[in-house]
Amino acid sequence: MSRTTLNREIKNTSNEVREFSFKQKKELLSKQEIIDQFLDAIPVLKKVLADRTKTLEDIVDKIDYLTTLGKPSESALLKINDLISLLRDWHSVVIREYVSLNSIRKLKIAKEEIKSYKSAIDDLKEVYEDMESIYFFLPGMPEFEETTKEISMI
Amino acid sequence: MDIFCLQEFKDEFYKLKSKKAYNNLTSEIIKYFFNKKAEDLSSGRYLNNNTITPYIKKRLKGSGGYRVYYLLIHKTGSIYLMFVHPKTGPMGAPNITNETKTLLYKKVFNCIRKEDLYKLSILDKKIVFNKN
Repeated sequence: MSRTTLNREIKNTSNEVREFSFKQKKELLSKQEIIDQFLDAIPVLKKVLADRTKTLEDIVDKIDYLTTLGKPSESALLKINDLISLLRDWHSVVIREYVSLNSIRKLKIAKEEIKSYKSAIDDLKEVYEDMESIYFFLPGMPEFEETTKEISMI
Repeated sequence: MDIFCLQEFKDEFYKLKSKKAYNNLTSEIIKYFFNKKAEDLSSGRYLNNNTITPYIKKRLKGSGGYRVYYLLIHKTGSIYLMFVHPKTGPMGAPNITNETKTLLYKKVFNCIRKEDLYKLSILDKKIVFNKN
């Protein structure tokens, strides 16, 4: 690096530091303002978590409804298999988000909302596992299929 | 609707009821299952792809609540409670295995055939189990 470039970089950086420092000094947050901003963010976080929980619960209800529509055709089964993969991917996304909430959880902020969100995430896992059972594993178990036939004759 | 249950359901019910964390189980079961028509009890997750005699897994009290497994036979207007487990708390479980689902399914068929079931009724806000 040439001396001229170095000097220019030092000057630019110094200017940036001066600008940020000056700006922050003018807008210095008081302790009360920091607390206020933090408190303002809590209801926003609670709302976001409640909305995410509701979305997960609605999807689980829709999947429950799918299972009431009877035996799927081969082409429908292929789509169900894709849906299971989508749900599995979604679960890995939301569980990562839940883990990132750890520090907030430790502060006991939005405790109920985080708890409900986790239950809904667990429900998502449960529903794609159940879909695999319903459409792929249980129909492949002879005892299960035999019982379905016998019960339908009652 | 006539409500029956397997021994497994009765055993789990009493085990859970004895825990403070699950003291709402009786009221949840009464609220959902008693004095209902078949169509009121036909929602949930069908495990057997059968709409005439669905083997249903029902979520009671939402995501973190209970899971009740039962058979609904529209033709006879009867339901058969097979198993219950909580999702959370000291006796919480995430799910039951495919083998257990199959075992309960076979068991309920055999018990219907042999009439080896408990009939459920309510007395003073409590569930009473009477052997057939």
